[in-house]
Amino acid sequence: MNQFKKEKNKFIILMLMPATILLLGLTLFPFVVSFILSFTDYSLLRPGQTKFIFLENYIELMKTKDFWIALRVTVVFTVFAVALQVVLGVVLANLLHNENANVSFLRTIYLLPLAITPIAATFTFRLMFNPSLGVLNYFMKILGFEPQAWLASPSTALFSLIIVDTWQWTPFILLICLGGLASLPNEPFEAAKVDGANSFQIFYKITVPMLYPFISLALLFRSIDAFKTFDIIYVLTSGGPGILTRTLNLYAFKHGIEYLSMGYAGSIAIVMLIITIIVAQIFLRKNKLLQAKETLR
Amino acid sequence: MSKKKISHLPPIKHLNLTRRHFVKATSALAGAGILSSYGLPLYAASNVDEMMKMYQNANIDWQSQKGSSIVLSGLEHPWMASIEPLIPHFKKLTGIDVSVQKQSESEYVAEVPVKLGAGNPTPDVYMVWSYGQAANAGWLESLDQHFDNPDLFDKNWYDLGDIFDSAKSFPIWNDGESYVMSITAEAQTMFANQNMLDAAGLNIPTTFDELLSSGKKLKSGDVAGVAMRSKADGTAGSWPGGGFVFSNGGVIIQDGKCMLDSPEAIEAIHYYGTILKEAGPLGVGNYHWYECLNDYMQEVCAIGMDSSNFAGDIENPEKSNAAGHTTYGAMVSGPSGKRAKPNMWHWMSGINSKSQNKAAAFLFLTWANSKPTCLMSSALGLATTRTSAWESDGFKSAFGAQAATAALSNLQNADGKIMKDCWFHPQSGEILTPFGIAINEVVTGTKSAEKAMKEATAKINKALGV
Repeated sequence: MNQFKKEKNKFIILMLMPATILLLGLTLFPFVVSFILSFTDYSLLRPGQTKFIFLENYIELMKTKDFWIALRVTVVFTVFAVALQVVLGVVLANLLHNENANVSFLRTIYLLPLAITPIAATFTFRLMFNPSLGVLNYFMKILGFEPQAWLASPSTALFSLIIVDTWQWTPFILLICLGGLASLPNEPFEAAKVDGANSFQIFYKITVPMLYPFISLALLFRSIDAFKTFDIIYVLTSGGPGILTRTLNLYAFKHGIEYLSMGYAGSIAIVMLIITIIVAQIFLRKNKLLQAKETLR
Repeated sequence: MSKKKISHLPPIKHLNLTRRHFVKATSALAGAGILSSYGLPLYAASNVDEMMKMYQNANIDWQSQKGSSIVLSGLEHPWMASIEPLIPHFKKLTGIDVSVQKQSESEYVAEVPVKLGAGNPTPDVYMVWSYGQAANAGWLESLDQHFDNPDLFDKNWYDLGDIFDSAKSFPIWNDGESYVMSITAEAQTMFANQNMLDAAGLNIPTTFDELLSSGKKLKSGDVAGVAMRSKADGTAGSWPGGGFVFSNGGVIIQDGKCMLDSPEAIEAIHYYGTILKEAGPLGVGNYHWYECLNDYMQEVCAIGMDSSNFAGDIENPEKSNAAGHTTYGAMVSGPSGKRAKPNMWHWMSGINSKSQNKAAAFLFLTWANSKPTCLMSSALGLATTRTSAWESDGFKSAFGAQAATAALSNLQNADGKIMKDCWFHPQSGEILTPFGIAINEVVTGTKSAEKAMKEATAKINKALGV
């Protein structure tokens, strides 16, 4: 029997090996390399002259005004984009859940943005935002409003990026919430109806609290992802006007890929990782996801 | 009013057609005439046999690398667009396979340095976006040893005298070696919609002030007066903005130090920002050269000022509504009263120092820059570095004779040294990105020219360690 167990364990380990190696190679290895590089002045321009400089990159980062501006932009983008997505995602999920089968095709339509290649969608938005030829300003003119320089104006650039991110990622929240709604028991809703509660009261007092664990999970995933957003910002504004939409990821990209200062870029990436871990830990502890699950039962 | 006018261009001094140039040009054109007599486009595959005769006049063992294959990497650019259809000629001549990798400029300048920095042996041949960075990092093979190899290079046949002086001096790095070959010649050139100028009763502007006032008069609800790049990016506003700085007596880098906080540079960028704020299209702060060219060709912008290479697209009636009624002009001069110095550029190609196929790569470079290939590519509208190609009928027809005259004049007036001090700097990325962002801040009204340029200068000098 022991022999059988040993063989079984070997088999399991063998089967898990490729995926584990791949996972470690794609996550742990780059992380370790970035971590080590962040303590050096490694530059692709001087590959043979790398020096260990310990915390110098981090100290320099903390003293740089551009870093703090990028951090502020990242936080503002993350908070507003994710908040908008959660509100829209929960409301849409509730509407779709309560609809009958006649509008089930709407689910497919709402989920389409998730299936579209992000870069292709972003280029389409670039055309739509084009001040002279884009469809947005065309409608603005029809409605009697002044056309806007959506991506070039300091007052609308970040807002435009939030709109694109919201279009792309609201379906993710919607999907999680739809799954959550399908798993909720019927009794509390029926009891509320018997007690005379209206639709809004049911949504606000029963649906949202019961959906809370799912919303929390979606919020956490989206916050981590939004914090790292790169593609839409790079394609649409390149961080402009000035540096008003330059996030930490874009800041790291500039230093790593454009200036080829891999050590400094590594320190930005590590700081981003630390911020993400701290925020995620605080969030998980505050929200007590496991306790919330208990209430569901 | 579709007739093109020669604008206020300074006289062309060095490019007068001398007897030597005339003989060279006519010899080359006679070669090209062999092909056109068949009634076929010069680059047509069916002309390969005729073209082979021109290459076989060279004392080069074209077949010495037969069977090898090389990777050519470049960006979406007229050079790639005109060389790619000619590659079958090269394959037939040498037996070398060429795979082409093409990306947008932003993607290209982001990806290729990482590949090269990691010691990747491909691409074998690539368009060099930052000579200083690439030469300093050891990513380029010195070409001098190949120039001395009689199996790979025939000096007489190649005819260096046919190549512009600036294109010959550009590749010489500060250690005296040449690591690249210049492949295109372009200068900052004004292009103006003559119909719109006539309708407004305006002449082509010659100064910053005239450009501003003309741009404002030309601007209407649907049409912008002037479009120039100003996206918050090191590859956008810094090039035309640099021309404004030079034309106002300023420089970007002097003795290794950034000088963008000088009164001349601040004044030039103030003008650049004011022109675009008051006469530019809505959202010009997000414009790279694609948007400028596109707006101009769609006739939603009256005046542009960018690379002379745009003429190839502007004069193509399939792409452009402005074809046939565009006047090309000289760089505008600043209020300092100093001579206008447009920015200029030679795109360059080099061989990856880690390439496994250096001889084959060198044969490709020699072929791509040879007189016959330049004649063929210039007939597709490419502004090459060869006098014979610029003077060919094929080029004048594709590019526009007046555009060619204006581009040559602007090339003559450019100051290659002050341009190279910045764009060839090993840390050019750390200079051009803050400069590009500062221009964007001025154009979008985020900061005044003085504040933006002083802040950019401080950042650049910190990065340069001065």
